[in-house]
Order: sequence, then structure tokens, then C-alpha cells
Amino acid sequence: MSSPLDRSDSGNGFYSDQESLRLRRAPSRMSNQNYPQYNWRSNPSDDEVGNAESPRELRTLARPMAQKKALRQVQQMRMPVSTSAKSWTHNKTKSLHKLKSNFREFLYFFSLWRKSLQKIGGNFGGGVESYFLFLRFLVVLNFVSFLLIAGFVIVPSLVFRSAGTSLNSTDDGPCMKYNPNPQGLVVFYEFFLHLLSGQGFMEDSLMFYGYYNNNTAMEEGRLFYNLPLAYLFTAVFYFAFCLCCIIAHMGTAARVVVATGGSTMGNYSLIVFTGWDYGCLGDQATKLKQKNIYYRLQVDLEEERIKKQAASLTPWRRVALYSLRVLMFLISIGLIVAAFYGIFVATEFSQKNNEKTGILGLFIEYLPSMVITAGNFLVPLLCDQIALIEKYSPSVTVVVALLRAVVLRMVSLGVLLFTLWSQITCDGNTEAMDCKMCQYNVDKYPCWETRVGQEMYKLTLFDLLVTIALLVLVEFPRRMVVDNWSSKLSQLVGRQEFVVPSNVLGLVYGQTVVWTGALFCPLLPLINTVKFVFLFYCKKITLFYNCRPALKTFRSTTSTFFFLVVLLFGWILSLVVMIYSLAVIHPSMACGPFRFIPTMWQIVPNSFYSLSKVTQEFLFFIGSQAFSIPLFALSCVVMFYFIALASIYGRSVAMLKAQLKLKGHDKQFLVKQIEKMKSSSL
Amino acid sequence: MGNKQTIFTDEQLDAYQDCTFFTRKEILRLHGRYHELAPHLVPMDYTNEPDCKLPLALIVDMPELKENPFRSRIVESFSEDGMGNLSFNEFVDMFSVLSEMAPRELKAIYAFKIYDFNVDNYLCKEDLEKTLNKLTKEELTSEEVELVCEKTIDEADLDGDNKLSYSDFENMISRAPDFLSTFHIRI
Repeated sequence: MSSPLDRSDSGNGFYSDQESLRLRRAPSRMSNQNYPQYNWRSNPSDDEVGNAESPRELRTLARPMAQKKALRQVQQMRMPVSTSAKSWTHNKTKSLHKLKSNFREFLYFFSLWRKSLQKIGGNFGGGVESYFLFLRFLVVLNFVSFLLIAGFVIVPSLVFRSAGTSLNSTDDGPCMKYNPNPQGLVVFYEFFLHLLSGQGFMEDSLMFYGYYNNNTAMEEGRLFYNLPLAYLFTAVFYFAFCLCCIIAHMGTAARVVVATGGSTMGNYSLIVFTGWDYGCLGDQATKLKQKNIYYRLQVDLEEERIKKQAASLTPWRRVALYSLRVLMFLISIGLIVAAFYGIFVATEFSQKNNEKTGILGLFIEYLPSMVITAGNFLVPLLCDQIALIEKYSPSVTVVVALLRAVVLRMVSLGVLLFTLWSQITCDGNTEAMDCKMCQYNVDKYPCWETRVGQEMYKLTLFDLLVTIALLVLVEFPRRMVVDNWSSKLSQLVGRQEFVVPSNVLGLVYGQTVVWTGALFCPLLPLINTVKFVFLFYCKKITLFYNCRPALKTFRSTTSTFFFLVVLLFGWILSLVVMIYSLAVIHPSMACGPFRFIPTMWQIVPNSFYSLSKVTQEFLFFIGSQAFSIPLFALSCVVMFYFIALASIYGRSVAMLKAQLKLKGHDKQFLVKQIEKMKSSSL
Repeated sequence: MGNKQTIFTDEQLDAYQDCTFFTRKEILRLHGRYHELAPHLVPMDYTNEPDCKLPLALIVDMPELKENPFRSRIVESFSEDGMGNLSFNEFVDMFSVLSEMAPRELKAIYAFKIYDFNVDNYLCKEDLEKTLNKLTKEELTSEEVELVCEKTIDEADLDGDNKLSYSDFENMISRAPDFLSTFHIRI
């Protein structure tokens, strides 16, 4: 730490600042004017400089850089005076800060796609950037989960050679017939068919559940890896891990939402002072931004006019409007139910006729995916038209459209799963003719888990193919037509707009499919990672070449929170599926690590009894009432403490706001009194 | 670290790291940007703390600031002489406050300075009108401008003096969810 005397020859400006601090003289008059009123102090107080934490706080001071540097010098000068223990802690905190900043630089290097996101944000705004940030979050989540699954399931399976279907199975019962890869020689085009439908060589690979065995590897009696237990726990931990990531991400977004207490749309001061995005780059983008702000102000003025109009409606017209809204609501529900019925019929048909081979067979295989995609595409379009008739205010329209789209996507996936379930378990009736023997429909589904995994794989693949097809066949031609052929129609249609909400729902749908299928298809997170990376580049290309920025903005901070809430709904849906498959449905007897046990969960109690006695007693104790009830009571107490703390903070904020108002009134009163006294004394 | 750069001493880089939200690499990169604005005026060797200021006209020509309607006000708020001439210290300070890691309070202080066109420590109606016209490129009619300014002061003014003091402004900004993300220049 150099003493300031070494710097006496450095430039005049620096030394005079130092001197002014020591002599406690006020800095030049010019710089006083530039500070906001609250900062009416010419010298920093002692407590700003003294403690060891100040290196971080220096940056948050609103002072010119030269003053901050001078403060820092003063800080460092004080160091040798303190005791050895203090200086040791100070050194430790300093090296910790250095470590943190080095770590931050390191992470910056690894931050994926940082420059692309900057470019997108600068040209299209925060709303579109939030979509790409969400996509990046999902890519990282999928990749890390794949590493988890690979580490605990796939690699041990390969190492302990506990995988591979044995063609000559020694047990030959009625439920045991399962031959995933019948022919030896495969015709060339069938290779692609198998790749797309997950059958044949794909079915007999690490990809699907049926490939893994239930051997518990024993080597020299010491190494012991219970593969079925590992499979189960990895699946459960995968879900828990995804939940933790989502909630952690939500926490940062929620903090902003809670701190600002939510905001109403018609808020002029916010638009004026925070409307301009300082990160806007480029000539085009700024022109659009200005148009955007103009549009928002217009919309707010318009909303005010609509409110005034609505308040002045006659009762008859009001009744007519409300009944129209109810009718439109019923119509939209009807459309959604029609879509569900279509999916149900398509899935039944596909499952009944899946013996067909060749291109027709492939078409029938993909029929449920096609119907779901068509439904997800058409129904929101129709709902948009309905929304035009409903005449809600713009903000309500957006929320209603989003809710409808979310319900449609999630429940259409639910219908597909329900149809599969009813076929596998004969509608839950284990006494039915088909299901009596093996507790599941063994003729159609010798290995039902693999079949479910195949369905999810097909959904994922089809989603990607449709996105690419739309890109190539719809978006690029649209842009070429609009740019090169100037007519009224092309001007009316205009260039594509990048609509953030529907794209985000597509991502959430894809992720929900992966979560549902991860138990049955362990490689699905890896496939999804590749798919999302591919999707990022495709969407980026279409954004820059084909799209114009949206005139109606989508708020970036509250929207991240909303995306994560919708993702959580998807997670809950797949959790229900996983719990049901683990606890209720009988696993296939011909394949997989859970054959020979009545439910998948049964492996846990079975392995439990092989643990040592002490561990068993301990785990019993944790599960017993003597432990869990006090734990529950304690967590209730902690929760109530935090709720009380939050309400106290809220109340003190309200009190402080009222105090601020009162102070202002006091100030005005005093000013008036002074003026009165002045005028009376003259 | 191992790289030998001769622009700043290690002590100077440490000082910059403590006083701003940038890492060493970013500070060196910023120096590169500052240098390329005026390669003849800005020395490559800053170890002696040269007294070099760049005028407003050069700084607002940067691609990050060129299209910003408030570019002159931004640069003036960070310059010590109030005329927009920035030394390297002030240049780094400006981008540090506008970076994504600066806290809300710090940004609010400087945002207030930027929108205060007549530098009287209050946001009066004329300041608001100027702000609005810069925002919408004077496409609103004068009645609409009048209306919006009135509504803005109505919403934010707490002490009833028909203009916004810093505490009014800060209170209003604390309710803005997007402030941190919009008051942010990526460099």
C-alpha cells in the first residue's frame, strides 16, 4: 500500500483533492451545483470511510471518480494504524473480494451467448430479450440434468454391463414376451423411419427404459451399485433439482415484483421517466422505440377514454355487453373441448393401428403430435378473433389470451397422457380381460414404459420439425413477398412480428414433455438440450431477418416471473404423471430395471431392509411422529415469523410515505408563514 | 494475473475496481474505447494520470450514445465542469453507473440529474415537457403534452409544490419495475 507522498508528483488535480480532504475544505463551487439536494454535504463523514466493508460501498457513492479515489486513499492510509487482528480480517475480506471479482470475470467468460443477447436486447427491447434469456436458462437446466442422469444411471449401466436386452430370456412366462429389434437386416429407408419413430434399433438402445436391467452389480463382493434404486432416485432428484432451479430463478424476479408492488398500466410518470431504453442501439431501433412510447401514451389516453365511455353506458347496453362476453367465453371453452376430443380420437386411432409399417405407419404414429400442434396453432388464432368481439381493455385482453393458450397447451398434453394411460391399464380396471394377467395390457404394450418414452420423443422431435418447417416455408417467403411485392395486401399483412408469449408457451410445452418423458427415456434431456440450442439459432435468424419489432411491448421484469410460473404448472403436470407411474401402475415384466416387483416404488422398501440396523432405526425415527410433528411445528413458527416481519415492513413503508406527505405540507406552511412575516415587516 | 499491460499501474487498476462496478478487463477495454474516440489526444500511458478531457461532441458520437435522445444531458451530468467534457475517470464513472450492477439508488440520483434540464434540483413542468418531446420526437400535440405533464406531476408529487423534488422522484422510481433494466447501457 503506497503512501500518498509517493504521488505528490502525479498531477495537480489529484493532490489538491487529497489536500482538501485533509484540510476539510469545501470543494469548488461549480461541483456543488451538480448534486441533487439530498447530498448537501461537502465532506464525507467519518463512518463512510472507517469500516472494512467500504470497498464495496465506495462504488455506490454518487461522487465524481476523483473524490472516490481520494476516499479510497484515505481508507488505505488508515490501515496500518489498526490492530493486527483487525488488519488480518481486513486482509482476508480484501482477498475474498478479489476472489469474487476473479470468479465473476471467469463466469463472464463462460456466460453463454452474451453478445448475441446484447444485440437482441438493443435492437428489439427487453421483452424479446427475456424470451431468449428464458431459453438460455432452459438449455443450461437440461444440460446439467443430463449430466446428472448420465453420471448416475447411464455410465454405471455401461460400466457394470447392466444393460442390453437378452434375446434368449430364461424365464418364459406369458408376460415376458418382448422383442424390440426383430429383424436382423434392415432396409435402408427403414433406418430413417426407426430414427423418427424411436422403434427398431433406437428402441433397443440406451435411449429407452427397456434397455436397462435390474442387475445389482456385485464385484468381488465389495462394489455394490443398486441400479434400479439409482434409476428411481435419479428421476426423483432430477425433479427436485429442476424445482429448486425454477424457484431460485423466480426468487430474483419476484423480488423486483414485490418491491415495486405491481404496477398499473396507465401510469404516465413511469412511462415518461422509465420508458426509454438506454440500451437501444441503431437508428431503426430508436425510431421504433420512439413510436413505441408514443403508442403507449396513446393507448393509455385511449384506455382513459374507454373507461369514461364504459362508465356512461346505459344499463341495457351493459347487459348486452356482458351477455356477449359470456357467450364468447362459452364459445372459447367449446373450441378448447373440441380440440381435446380431436386429440383423444387421434390417439386412440393411432394406438389401435400401429401395426402398419412404412410411410403410412409413420404418419399414423405421428397423428397425435400433428393434431396437438394443429390445435395449438388454430385455437389461439380463433381465440384472438373472439377477443376482438369481447372488447376488453388491452391489458386484460393480453392476460386472457395467454391464459387460454396456457390451458390449451397443458391440458392437450394431459389428454394425450390420459388416453395412453387408459389404453395401458384398461381404464384403470385391472380385472378387465386384457389386463388380468399382468396388471397391464400386455398384448399391445409388452414394454409400456418404452412406448410412453417413444411418444414423448416423437412429440419433442415433431415440435422441432414444425418450427423449422414454419421458418422455411412460412416466415422467409412472407418476408420476401412483403419486401419485394408492394401491394395493399402485403402492406396489410406486413412483416412477421415476434410474438413473445406464444413462443414462450412453446418452450414451456417442450420442457413439460421432456419432464414427463425423462423417467422413460433417460437421454431425452440431452436431445432437448440439442433441440433448444438449435432453436436459439433458428429464432435468432428469423428475428433478425424476418421480423419487425412489436409495437405493443411486453414488460420484461414481470414477464420473467410469469414465464416461470407457467413453467411451474408444467412441472406439476409431469410430477403427477411421474408419481402415478411410480406408485400405481405395474411395471413391465419383460423389460426394464423394475421387472418382478409390483410397483416401481417397491424397490425402496426392498432395498431398505438391506441397510444396517442402525440406519434403519434412524430412518424409522425420522419418519415417525415423534420427529415430524415437532419439525412441522418449528417450520410453522419460522414461517409465521417471516410473515410478521413482512407485514411490519409493509406497514412501516406506508407510514413513511404518509410522513413524507406531511413534511411537504409542513414545508409549504412554513414558507407561507415566512413570506407573510416578510411582507408584514416591510 | 500474468498479462503485462502498461496502460495503468496495478494500484490504479485496483482503485478503479474498487470505485466502479467493472473488472480489470472491462476497464482496459473502456480505455481502448476512450482512446479510439480521439487517438491523438488520449495517451496510451495513463500511469502518470494525464489531465486529458474529451469534448462533448466526441463522446456523444459513440454508437451506444448516438441515438439516445438524452445523450447530451447524460454526458453533462457526469462531467465535473457541467459542460460535457469528460476525463477518463468521469467516462468510466458514467458507464459504471449505467451498467447493470449499479444499485437502484445510485441510478436514481443520476437519472434525476439527467432529466433536470435547467439544473435547479427540481423537475418542473418545463423539464418534463422537454423530456417528453425528446422521447416522442415531438409527435404529440401540445394539448396531449400538457395533459401528460399534468398527470405525471399529479401522480408523483407528494409535497404538493407542483414540481418534483428528488424525494418525489425517488419514491416514484421505486415503484418502477423496469427502471433497472431500461436505465442500462451495454458496453
